[in-house]
Amino acid sequence: MTPEGMLLNGLAVITTGLIVGAIFSLVAAGVTIMYGTIWFPNASNGQFFILAALLMWSLVANWGLSPFLAAVVVIAGSIPFSLILEKFLVRPFYNVPNRNIVYFIMTLGLAQIFAGAFTCTYGRWSDQYSLPATWPGVIMLGPFPFPRTRLLVLLIALILLAGLFAFLRLHRIGRALRAVFQNREAAILRGVDVRRIYRFSFVLAMLIITTGGVLFALAYAFDLTMAWNMAIIAFAIMIVGGPGSVLGSVVIGMIFGFTQAAVSLFASPTLAAFSYLIVMLIILLVKPSGLFAR
Amino acid sequence: MTKVLDARGLNKSFGGVWALKDLSVDQAPGETLGMIGPNGSGKTTFINAVTGHLALDGGEVFLDGKTITGRKPHVIAQAGLIRTYQAVRVYAQLPVSENLRVAGLPHFRRLGFSDPLDGAEDLLVKLSLKEKTEAVAGSLTLFEQRRLELAMRLISRPKLIMLDEPVGGLNPGEIREMIQLLKGLRAECGLFVIEHTMKVIMELADRVVVLVSGEMIANGAPAAILQDANVIRQYLGAVRATSR
Amino acid sequence: MAYRRAALVGLVILALALPFLFSASRFYAFILGVTYLYILWSSGMNLLSGFTGLMPLMYAGLAGVGAYTTVNLVMKFGVSFWLAMPAGALAAALVGVVLGLPSLRLRGFYFTLSGLVIQTALTMLFVYIPQFTGGDTGISQIPPPLISLPGDRSFPLAGVWLEEALAVAALLTVYVVHRVTQSTLGKYLVAIREDDLLTEALGIGVTRYRVLAFFISSLFAGVGGAFYAHYVGFVSPRSFDVLTSLNIWLIVGFGGQGTILGPIVGAVILAPIPYLMQEFYLYKDIVYGSLIVFTTIFLPRGVYGSLLFHRRTRTSARGKSEAARS
Repeated sequence: MTPEGMLLNGLAVITTGLIVGAIFSLVAAGVTIMYGTIWFPNASNGQFFILAALLMWSLVANWGLSPFLAAVVVIAGSIPFSLILEKFLVRPFYNVPNRNIVYFIMTLGLAQIFAGAFTCTYGRWSDQYSLPATWPGVIMLGPFPFPRTRLLVLLIALILLAGLFAFLRLHRIGRALRAVFQNREAAILRGVDVRRIYRFSFVLAMLIITTGGVLFALAYAFDLTMAWNMAIIAFAIMIVGGPGSVLGSVVIGMIFGFTQAAVSLFASPTLAAFSYLIVMLIILLVKPSGLFAR
Repeated sequence: MTKVLDARGLNKSFGGVWALKDLSVDQAPGETLGMIGPNGSGKTTFINAVTGHLALDGGEVFLDGKTITGRKPHVIAQAGLIRTYQAVRVYAQLPVSENLRVAGLPHFRRLGFSDPLDGAEDLLVKLSLKEKTEAVAGSLTLFEQRRLELAMRLISRPKLIMLDEPVGGLNPGEIREMIQLLKGLRAECGLFVIEHTMKVIMELADRVVVLVSGEMIANGAPAAILQDANVIRQYLGAVRATSR
Repeated sequence: MAYRRAALVGLVILALALPFLFSASRFYAFILGVTYLYILWSSGMNLLSGFTGLMPLMYAGLAGVGAYTTVNLVMKFGVSFWLAMPAGALAAALVGVVLGLPSLRLRGFYFTLSGLVIQTALTMLFVYIPQFTGGDTGISQIPPPLISLPGDRSFPLAGVWLEEALAVAALLTVYVVHRVTQSTLGKYLVAIREDDLLTEALGIGVTRYRVLAFFISSLFAGVGGAFYAHYVGFVSPRSFDVLTSLNIWLIVGFGGQGTILGPIVGAVILAPIPYLMQEFYLYKDIVYGSLIVFTTIFLPRGVYGSLLFHRRTRTSARGKSEAARS
């Protein structure tokens, strides 16, 4: 391979790794927040991710809405949706002893429902979905053409991640969330209204996952199989990074993103998925609390 | 005379915090040993470590002269060292008779019996649980559940039972009864009792060990312990600190 | 009690007779055969999920191991099905123990998650070793099991006879699982499910009995896989993926975990559904997914389990009020 070829490949891996990593981190952060605070392992996170992407496709590619407006509609729409889910699926089980298993199985069923629904609807219309470029044209990074839309998506994703961090560390509610992560009983003693925090965490997590789907739809073409893959990846990131640790989700998310980009280029995406599974299994068996555990 | 329990130089840390510091405790056969100490001093950690529920960072444990260091909890239970939990634990969904059957199954052959429930009836009578034999364990009162816990340990004819706060949650009348019950068991097996209430320890224990921050600060007859200035200062001081 | 024994004998006779009663229509006979298969599978899973309290999401993957092993032995090496099937079951059991053993130390949700991971990895593996599995295209035209007759002839166990064999296999599985639950092992498994910490403290080696339950359960997964392959005649990695594990769990959970008849009730109600709703096949996932959600929220004891529970509480309430009156 020529030096220029290697440079092109390298830049492709880096840029793809950054974007994919950022989106992985967002989704994984959502999953880890849900599990860390409510003990809600959401096996249907991948379906919600794809739902957001599919809705973006419908609104932008089919109805011709501006991507910005569509994004606002989808993300804002996730709030009432999450509140309904929270009321009927999450709240009834707050005090059940093994609720994480119940939630896990329930969300697996939910994922099956969504997967079936998608196949019946979207699946009949198209195999792959892509949106027209939001910001047409490319920026040249040396010899490498970097689509402007993807640069935009990357910047937004990074800003959101930074914002999430700031929120959890600085804002009153964010700090209450972290208190509940760490020790539910202590948080109750300190006067934190745990039920409100549960509701808030759920909606926040869904917001983040939805945003991840929206951003992904803007940047890349996608298909329905991504849903299960995303779910596995998100869980793998959560487990390896440490359940409840947003920092862990971001660091491991970025690493997985780069791995995905690199392995997809030189081998196959399935091999990348395989490697996540192996890493997740190893961590589960050796250090279940994850690498960034408190 | 071989000590029934001999724990030497136990060390256990949790991420840099030492819960047990070079702790040595022993118990002679026929002696009821008590352990007191403020919250977080390591009492439950001690039981966990000795019965194999927690891996030690250092030290050895011998039961009746034979080493049990590093063995799994079920092996140690079969060797004759069995424990109860601070919060009462029984199989709430199963009837009392099934609770006892499960408790007896791992041991009855070793003990030379033909049925896991051999001797269970006498135990139930002695512990005033005979009428509740078919009742679901979860429907029993707390005191009855505590007695069931005892029955489930006694059915294995242990050499030593380690009791973690056996009167927790009981009212004064029940505490009195429990103390009498435990006194009556002394002939059958060794008793190691962790307690908060001085009164219980005073009546039950032949000797008391005082644990503060993972270290033994006193060791002697209950009456002497109460007078010990060191104990008063460290125990009460530590009690004040942990209750803040 | 004689009434109960008579009912059981009646059920057994019915199970053995049904294949002949249905033999006129291949369509309904096939549904019957598949139902027997799911009775076998779900009873095997019940040992782990209902009696031991572990959710084995890799069950379908293990069934796949059993299926592919048996099919390869029969089609590539000419081994008789009756030898290949136990070999496949053993392979499934060994793979299950090797993969499951490390994760048996994990509590609750983590064990379920690792099961999901292993299942996904197994499905990927099936796709990526086409020399054994035919990859995504799968293996087709799998012959029915042969019974060798004297004089070098063989009798293919097809059609009504294969359904009969499935009925026998299902009945045997239910019987074996029943005996296990009555045994010491069964009592230990229930104790482990109820409170594993207490059980260990009482002198019962929790891990070793979990492994044993896992081994037995995986054996049945493999047996079912072998029969599935030679009954349906076609297997692919999709036949043994996570959705299959979930569907088998649904049958157990919907019928009644931890009971012997529960999986049978569940299989009888649920297994025929995708075949009876042929035109609505597309909606199968929605239906199953909804049933899973419904079962976890409203029917945690399952249909049969809830019946048992209400009967028990009614008799004990009646007993109490009678005692109060006397």
